[in-house]
Amino acid sequence: MKKRFKLLATAGVLLALTLAGCGNKQSAESVSKDAANAKPPEVQTLTVYSAGPDGLAANIQQAFEEKTGMKVEMFQGTTGKILSRLEAEKNNPVADVVVLASVASIDGLKGSDQLQSYKDAENATKINSDWSDADGYYYGYSASALGIAYNTKNTKEAPTEWTDLAKMEWQDKINIPDPSLSGSAVDFLYGYAEAEKTAWDTIQSWKKNGLQVNGANKEALDAVITGDKNATISGVDYMAYKAKASGEPVEIVYPKSGTVVSPRAVGIMKEAKNVEGAKAYVNFLLSDEGQKLVTDAYLLPGNKEIPVKDRATLDEIPQFNVDWKGAEAKQLDILTKFNDIFR
Amino acid sequence: MIMEGRRTFGLLLTIVATFAIAPLIAIVYYTFFNDGHLDVSQMNRMFANDRLWQTLGNSLLLGLLVILGTTILALPMALIRTKTSLHKFDWLDIILTIPFMTPPYIGSMGWILFMQNNGFLQQLIPSASWMSNTFFSLFGMVMIMSLHLFPFLYLMLKNTLLRINGSFLDAALIFGRSSWRNWTKVVLPLLVSSYVLGILLIFIKTLAEFGTPATFGSRIGFQVFTTEIHSYLARWPVDISMATSLSLFLLSVCLVIWYFQNFIGRKYTYSVLSGKTPAVREIKDTWYIKLGSWLFVGMVLLFSIAIPYFSIIVTSLQKVRGNGLSAGNFSLASYQAVFTSGSAGLSAFLNSIVFSIITAVVTAIIGLFIALYIKKGERKKQQVLDFFSLMPNIIPGIVFVVGLIMFWNAPWLPATIYNTKAMVVVTYCVLFLPYSVQYTKSSLSQLDQSIFQSAAIFGRSSWDMYRSIFIPLLMQGILAGMMMTFIISMRELVAGLLILPPSVETGATFIYSQFEQGNVGVGMAVAVITVAMTVIFMFVLDWLQKRGGHASA
Repeated sequence: MKKRFKLLATAGVLLALTLAGCGNKQSAESVSKDAANAKPPEVQTLTVYSAGPDGLAANIQQAFEEKTGMKVEMFQGTTGKILSRLEAEKNNPVADVVVLASVASIDGLKGSDQLQSYKDAENATKINSDWSDADGYYYGYSASALGIAYNTKNTKEAPTEWTDLAKMEWQDKINIPDPSLSGSAVDFLYGYAEAEKTAWDTIQSWKKNGLQVNGANKEALDAVITGDKNATISGVDYMAYKAKASGEPVEIVYPKSGTVVSPRAVGIMKEAKNVEGAKAYVNFLLSDEGQKLVTDAYLLPGNKEIPVKDRATLDEIPQFNVDWKGAEAKQLDILTKFNDIFR
Repeated sequence: MIMEGRRTFGLLLTIVATFAIAPLIAIVYYTFFNDGHLDVSQMNRMFANDRLWQTLGNSLLLGLLVILGTTILALPMALIRTKTSLHKFDWLDIILTIPFMTPPYIGSMGWILFMQNNGFLQQLIPSASWMSNTFFSLFGMVMIMSLHLFPFLYLMLKNTLLRINGSFLDAALIFGRSSWRNWTKVVLPLLVSSYVLGILLIFIKTLAEFGTPATFGSRIGFQVFTTEIHSYLARWPVDISMATSLSLFLLSVCLVIWYFQNFIGRKYTYSVLSGKTPAVREIKDTWYIKLGSWLFVGMVLLFSIAIPYFSIIVTSLQKVRGNGLSAGNFSLASYQAVFTSGSAGLSAFLNSIVFSIITAVVTAIIGLFIALYIKKGERKKQQVLDFFSLMPNIIPGIVFVVGLIMFWNAPWLPATIYNTKAMVVVTYCVLFLPYSVQYTKSSLSQLDQSIFQSAAIFGRSSWDMYRSIFIPLLMQGILAGMMMTFIISMRELVAGLLILPPSVETGATFIYSQFEQGNVGVGMAVAVITVAMTVIFMFVLDWLQKRGGHASA
């Protein structure tokens, strides 16, 4: 026993010593690095954490770099991954700008005091105010609508209502993206449950009809594209439009009773090192040029004046009345309830 | 001897401590301390959750079944490759590692696309649709995971069998009674230590596996620890302390299993290499053994490679995925996309290669020193180091990665490697150091004591001794460890997803992001290219190794 203790103590001391040693050495290095960085202040890089669709994020990055000459370091991932990265890096923040696929999440960041306000963003007034923060903490620069994506080859009669999918002909042929992976699926469940009193009954009836909970958005849609399933509930529309444009047998409908439009928002981190660059990035996203890139990716633009491409406009989509502010806590309950039913 | 001094211990322990233990301390701290105060509410919260026990049950059941599955595949394969005329076909070893090289995520997708409703199987044989329902069950999951993991066990068993081949069998042949008795009394007991270690690693790999449970498991509603931990890490709202609590629990489960393995393993360790080169003799099989062997190898290759790769390659070639297998629906567009247009896929792939090679070399060197120090782990200090260096193998990668992130982001660190490429290499090294330690140690443990004694008596200096005796004898193990490290680094996903600095991608994260948001065809194309390149690389390495052997002989 004594021996072991001695051993552990030795290990502890050694660990501390090394860390101190490493630290000193590295701090010296970093000081010299900082000095080197301080000399040419013109060459700045901007770090962006983006949950945008892959192609769109890359296009925006390229266009922004060409326009401003600033170098963008881009980290891409789902909203969940970006949030966990931010959480892990709390002590040592790197990101200047965050782009999330869920307003509830970015509102949560604002709530925990991780964002800074940028009220004077160019074009701010043109951007849909339902999707943005009144104090300028974040802007809903784009949105996707959630619908029923179905396989046109294997479906005889297109679904028109959410409740249709509880019918016999859809048995074992329906799926939904996993809300613990897909922010938009949580948004859908939240909006649906808020707007429809019978929502949970319908969800139960889907379960009885063999609803499968199927990974992230793209994975759920892939099951429909390859014919494993016939319809995806809460399918993300821009992905369906994109697949359709490349010839896949897939179509999306928005039920008449209403659906959820899930905005994607951009905000500047409180600890941002390159605040000017971050502001320029936000301005670019809200500019007509940025909004044009958004519509090229089949998303709904934040600025209604920009024409959409090969898809339904915002006005054509019947919407539930959803309030995103303070949705964070309620969404958690929804998620728990959903998981209790399906696990 | 240089490897036994106090200073060596200090140095090795320091390296291991900084890179492997500190992250764990960070995790424990994060779980139990809240703003500097001890807080056990996290643990209580976890134990209050009913799902915990079900997750535990699922994980253990899966682990046991996969042990069974890999044994059924690996043991006969190892025997066939050492005891029948098939022992000549060394290319089989490289082919057989393909399933292990395939990212589990991709392999499972291949199987799902093949077996699903309207999948490739039903398009080829419409009457086979009844198989889908049978396949999408725990059985299918165990099968996919066994087919993915068996090469690992196979290589371990085969290497042990090769070493036994020599004088032991001669002695058994001369003094033994029946060949059956020789088998049960000589060969199998000698195999036990390798086998127990092998299945322990398989078990822990199964517990730590993320790709297959995430794709296949979620389809059949089979939750395991990794998917639970991942959902706490990657879903909103992020609950890192819940994830770390779960990980600590998982860690304790693994430690208990490890303890038992150690107990059994130690009882059955024998020296089987006495410095005498095992004689290779001509093997003549009867026709039915030959036929049976080839049939078995053929079936394994069909299920572990042909079927998943059929799906993967077809998907990478399809123009319109909704049109399935039909003439005119194929093109090389995905491959063109990879090789042109700034080729994000190609640069990601090259990043992977660089990271993997550095990792393989660094871990081989550190692993060799650690193994030489540990020897058979008779002393306390040796056991401590042994345990610490194997920790990354016992702890699921995802936990380690989170620990590393939290450690390197600690506010009191004056500088950090976080968000640099060095972080990637450090993480890979921590995660994969156990492989090189394991492989080197397993070669070392088979060296007979007499080699050490004669070396100590006749050797000039200790450095000389290591250079001209031990390292050459261990070289096979070191190289095998390097190869394994390289392969595993090439397909590492979780670490990449969480620690890559912005704007840097590896092959695995690129493929994954194609599934999440991009073009599945392009993702599959990169997967095919990665595996093809790795296979070629291994053939070249194998050839060089053999050529080098001949030149020096």
